[in-house]
Amino acid sequence: MTVSKKIVLLGHFGVGKTSLVRRFVENTFSDNYKVTIGVHILKKEVILPENQVNLIIWDIEGNEDISATRSSYLMGSHGFIYVFDTTRRSTFEHLEHDLDHLRNHYNNVPVTVVGNKNDLITPAHLRENRPLFKRADFFTSARTGKNVELIFEDVTKKMMS
Amino acid sequence: MLETYKKQYLYPKVQFVVITKNGKVAESDDSLFPLRRGTDITGFHPFFESILPLTDRAGEHLSYSCVHIKDRICDVDCRTFKDKDPLIVIHDLTEHYQSLQTVAQKRNETVIETEVLTLQNTYLQEKEAFKRTFIANFSHEIRNPLTGVFSFTEMLEKTQLSDEQYDLVEIIKSLCQDLNIMINDILDLSKIEVGKFFINNEIFDFNALLESINFIYSTKARQKNLQFHIHRDENIPQYIEGDRNRIKQVLANIIENAIKFTDKGQVALYVRLNNKRANKINIQFEVTDTGIGIAKEDIDDIFTSFTQVHKDSKYPGTGLGLAIVKNLVNLMEGDISAGSEPGKGTSIRFNLRLKFPLHHKPRQIKNQEEEGNILFNNRNKYNVLLIEDNKISQIIVLKILASQGSFFLDIAENGSQALDRIEETRYDLILMDIRLPDVTGYELATVIRNTPEKKYAGTPIIALSGSMMGDGKKKYKKAGISDILQKPFKEQQLLKKLKKFLK
Ligand SMILES: Nc1nc2c(ncn2[C@@H]2O[C@H](COP(=O)(O)OP(=O)(O)OP(=O)(O)O)[C@@H](O)[C@H]2O)c(=O)[nH]1
Ligand SMILES: [Mg+2]
Repeated sequence: MTVSKKIVLLGHFGVGKTSLVRRFVENTFSDNYKVTIGVHILKKEVILPENQVNLIIWDIEGNEDISATRSSYLMGSHGFIYVFDTTRRSTFEHLEHDLDHLRNHYNNVPVTVVGNKNDLITPAHLRENRPLFKRADFFTSARTGKNVELIFEDVTKKMMS
Repeated sequence: MLETYKKQYLYPKVQFVVITKNGKVAESDDSLFPLRRGTDITGFHPFFESILPLTDRAGEHLSYSCVHIKDRICDVDCRTFKDKDPLIVIHDLTEHYQSLQTVAQKRNETVIETEVLTLQNTYLQEKEAFKRTFIANFSHEIRNPLTGVFSFTEMLEKTQLSDEQYDLVEIIKSLCQDLNIMINDILDLSKIEVGKFFINNEIFDFNALLESINFIYSTKARQKNLQFHIHRDENIPQYIEGDRNRIKQVLANIIENAIKFTDKGQVALYVRLNNKRANKINIQFEVTDTGIGIAKEDIDDIFTSFTQVHKDSKYPGTGLGLAIVKNLVNLMEGDISAGSEPGKGTSIRFNLRLKFPLHHKPRQIKNQEEEGNILFNNRNKYNVLLIEDNKISQIIVLKILASQGSFFLDIAENGSQALDRIEETRYDLILMDIRLPDVTGYELATVIRNTPEKKYAGTPIIALSGSMMGDGKKKYKKAGISDILQKPFKEQQLLKKLKKFLK
């Protein structure tokens, strides 16, 4: 059975949402930063043991304030990937608050939390920020591809269960 | 006319599409995208795939801004009706959104840039602060065991030791001392940096300070065949209010450095009066040398911690000295600067804003002689030669004699240097370590006694020895040594011996 599921990547600008999607869908990466405005919608099939899922991935523009995100983009979502940039504190210091917002407004939608740009940080940095980082489900690198497949798999599994 | 314009500018930018309930294209004007009737609109672009489930209910108006569809950027409206098929209206706003993109690009890049910068800064600052506290604590902790080693070594020194053992103990002590100086430097620096360093102002005898500096550094300079002079402005009052120990530390560090990097010529300290108003006084100090100098591009680095401009092992050191100097001078509200010409020499100049008492009666010095302390009066100056290779012993003697103000001291580190010295200068007394690198004290004493014209036939020679074991006494008498002082000795013990022979 094939189903279509809409997932949205959330997070501040520049955290690597577009890069993660490009790595996942096209397996490419670029160091150039092209700011996303509005939304790019891409599709990728994920094959799970029981079923095939068409992921319709909404790569939206970054926003420092999650509550300012256009609600039309979020409407009808089946899953969220919340991305922060492990190198920039401002992108994860309000993580708890943002997740609360999602819980309050999209209670049934599963969220996978991702700390990206893992290739740039040291174990010491990880240790120092542990209290905030512990909410992350995965640490990824769009540049190296590390854990990128996993996050999409994870959110898909959560949606299907 | 208007209609033609509208056709040209408006219609091509808006596309109307009617779809069936299950997402097939029913009608389309194809103004933007060609859509074949009867095909699945979801197949045209995934955007439609994700909005189709939302068109189930009648009376909806879904409105999406800034959606990238193929290579256009569009606003999309979707309306559902009770008795009609859903309508999709696509507005092409590519140009408008592209200009927004440029603005967003600029803004985001700037924000990220400053964020990364401030992040790096706070990160560095936190690291730096941590490092400083760590160093402060660490150096503090390391001092205790070191003090332990030092005092046990001193205890060991007082036990029955052979001369050889005694010398080894002296080496341990001297290494401890070096370590101690380094740790104190680090501790000072980190205290300054964490703001826990305090200046301790008191009224002190400025002349006495300069005299003791003069004694210590002219002795050290002569050891390297250099000259050291102090040029002092007579208008500077004798009593000054300031942190005597810190001023001394600053001067000592700079002069020590100057001597270290000078192989011939001279080191001079100029003390000038900048200005004096009410009870405030601004004094300028300048230390000049004729040493190897510092390259222009390095001159700014000399006051930075852990930087050694001359990385040659010929000039060892931690590179902390001048960093401390700069910090101390700044703490005392002064400025410091350096000038240099490679191969010609260096001058380091700083000024201090100090105070001086308008009326000051120095406390009557207790009559120390009455208390049984030996004192020399300043009227007679004695030339003393110290023959000693151990740095600690050198410093001990130096300090004791400096406190008296009645001596000129020369230091020779071995027998052959000693013989050179006694040829140049007529000494009133000789202090001599019994174990020297090249000869024993007994041998050297015999040679000195027998110099031509018997110049030193009657000069007192006091041997410094770590042990009085065995046949020592007989041996020194035979060698012509006048007396012996057992190491380690106290200030009064040395002065007593000197007094005995310098009547
Ligand atoms: N080193 C490294 N750089 C990354 C990684 N992911 C993204 N970047 C870089 O980070 C910058 C921003 O990446 P994007 O993917 O455009 O970020 P975004 O979240 O889509 O940004 P907005 O669209 O403005 O919200 C780009 O320069 C990327 O090359 C990563 O995992 N490692
Ligand atoms: Mg993006």
